[in-house]
Amino acid sequence: MLGEVLESRRVVVCVGSGGVGKTTVSAALALRAAMNGRKALVLTIDPARRLANSLGLPTLGNVETRIGEERFAAAGLKPSGELWAMTLDLRRTWDDLIERYAPSAERRETILHNRLYQALSTGLAGSLEYMAMEKVYELERAGGYDLVVLDTPPTAHALDFLDAPNRLLDLFSHDAARWLLGGALGAGRVGLSLVHLGSSYILKTLARFTGVELLQSLAEFFVAFQGMYDGFHERAKATKALLSGEKSAFVLVTSPNPLTVDEAVFFAHELKRSEIHVAAGIVNRVHENPLWQPGATDAPDIARALAHERVPNDGRPFLSERLETTVTELSVLAQRDEREIERFHEATGGAFALHVVPRLARDVHDLAGLWQVLEAMHEHGGG
Amino acid sequence: MVWSSRRLHIVTGKGGVGKSTVTAALALAAQREKKRVLVCEVTAKERVASLLGAPDCGPEVKRIDESIWSVHVRPAEAMREYALMVVRFRAIYNAVFENRLVRYFLRAVPSLPEIVELGKVWWHVVKEQDEEGKPRWDAVILDAPATGHGISFLRTPRTILELVSEGPMVRDMKRMQAMLTDPALTAIHVVTMPEEMPVNEAVDLHQAIVEMQLPEGRLFLNHHFERRFSADERQTLASTDDGALGPSRLAARYWGERQDLSAHYEARLRREIELPMTLIPYLAAKEFGRAAVERIAEIVGREG
Repeated sequence: MLGEVLESRRVVVCVGSGGVGKTTVSAALALRAAMNGRKALVLTIDPARRLANSLGLPTLGNVETRIGEERFAAAGLKPSGELWAMTLDLRRTWDDLIERYAPSAERRETILHNRLYQALSTGLAGSLEYMAMEKVYELERAGGYDLVVLDTPPTAHALDFLDAPNRLLDLFSHDAARWLLGGALGAGRVGLSLVHLGSSYILKTLARFTGVELLQSLAEFFVAFQGMYDGFHERAKATKALLSGEKSAFVLVTSPNPLTVDEAVFFAHELKRSEIHVAAGIVNRVHENPLWQPGATDAPDIARALAHERVPNDGRPFLSERLETTVTELSVLAQRDEREIERFHEATGGAFALHVVPRLARDVHDLAGLWQVLEAMHEHGGG
Repeated sequence: MVWSSRRLHIVTGKGGVGKSTVTAALALAAQREKKRVLVCEVTAKERVASLLGAPDCGPEVKRIDESIWSVHVRPAEAMREYALMVVRFRAIYNAVFENRLVRYFLRAVPSLPEIVELGKVWWHVVKEQDEEGKPRWDAVILDAPATGHGISFLRTPRTILELVSEGPMVRDMKRMQAMLTDPALTAIHVVTMPEEMPVNEAVDLHQAIVEMQLPEGRLFLNHHFERRFSADERQTLASTDDGALGPSRLAARYWGERQDLSAHYEARLRREIELPMTLIPYLAAKEFGRAAVERIAEIVGREG
């Protein structure tokens, strides 16, 4: 299922809670597509250096960067396609959007110089999510890539991500701003004064809360935004259609930690409720059980096997005892993980195939590591 | 006892490194010192109560253990409390703040959720008193949002003060900033684990803390694998092909590589972050619950 998704879809969206290795998985999926001949781009909106790390690149700007052949060669890989990566620069994407939709140069300058704009464009709830989707839409439309893999920001609710455009649009809609700002807005005045604000009971009360200054900047911002709403609206609608349509697939990433499994189950239900199909689930960092291999598991048996192989049973505690402890501990962790995967599978009604990525002994942050992730990934329990 | 004498402990770090576990362990450690503790979780999901075996608290302060209370700080409820403090009358609050369009509008106020959440924490730390007029809490332990949000969370008062120069918000931001920067009152702790990305984020986070001149606390290196096998032992074991040693080989290889990573990142953290470090061993517990947190509490308490 995952293979088919990476072969045929144009957009793959990786969702899941923070700390489960979503960025690594996203990069690995793009790598798989690139190895199989597609021109794949992985887009992360994480402000940290995670993706740059996982591709062994020192930095990634808001520009699409191709992962060079020498990196592949160093990892012993020969891709038949191309792997590209980029980190979304939130501020720059906002600026581009304002450039595109501002009805006049004057209006554009007003917005770009608004004191609140910078804080708004990078701090507004949903802004990051909105811009990521916007970028995916733009990349898909431009048609430069066969596949775009999107690594989403960790959100509390899977739908925060999908709803972001709507929430943002609500904010910019005519009704909300006109009702609040009344006549001032109708007159299209940009230099709003206290007198205009003061006419409304609601605004007076708000001003006690936020201060008049902040409210004025906000009003100015809203006034400037008038006329851009339609452009935004169309764009958001098209983006949503792309992501919930046939060209896109959602992949739900989790770790076997009970708390993150709870969150993944919750995500799965939310996605289902909004009729978004999850193409696959990936459980990352699963402990391998040493008991799957036949052999000695307690200290005396291990001691005998060590003697047989002429390995000195030294140290304190003895090597055989330390080995027993480690085998036991790892198997406890593996069993705990197995139970959680089962629980995840049952709670989601087996609606999508689960793929398991073993917890690798080494740390994954380069192409060779990503490839190791792909090689080790397998479908859970064959069902 | 340098850091444990402070009242506000802010636990920061990348998602998934065990911030909630460290928060819960700090709460138990403070409990052992006979402190009256409040846990504030400013996270998407409440975790500390269940780690200690208690039912979730929700947005109300509830007792979850002997002398430990907890509250899940959520923007909607914190917003209501904060607004009610400002406008004082519920009728006005309802007419203004519960208005659908006002809500849209308020979304545009940068960092508003952070402001109201921090405002609530400030109230518990600085304002709230017991019957005798003493601070109600000896220790407030704040489980902060994961790194990216964590930095913007701690930066909120400064951001707002750069935008606004007068009004009630400015007064409140100055108070919050005073609380966050007071080294006698506050300690900012960083949690990480021995892997590339969490360590990078810890380094970034620590730089931001230094740059913002926030009072530094401890560095907690979670999931630390102690050195259990020597290089010789690992090499010799790896070269065996006896079937009976299968489980041992796998276990020793896994542990060995993890112990290398632990040593590597511990050394890097000591080089790059000048904070006293607490190592928290990786615990192979059947259920990660209260018993595991108790063991960690012992470790973090020892070095307090």
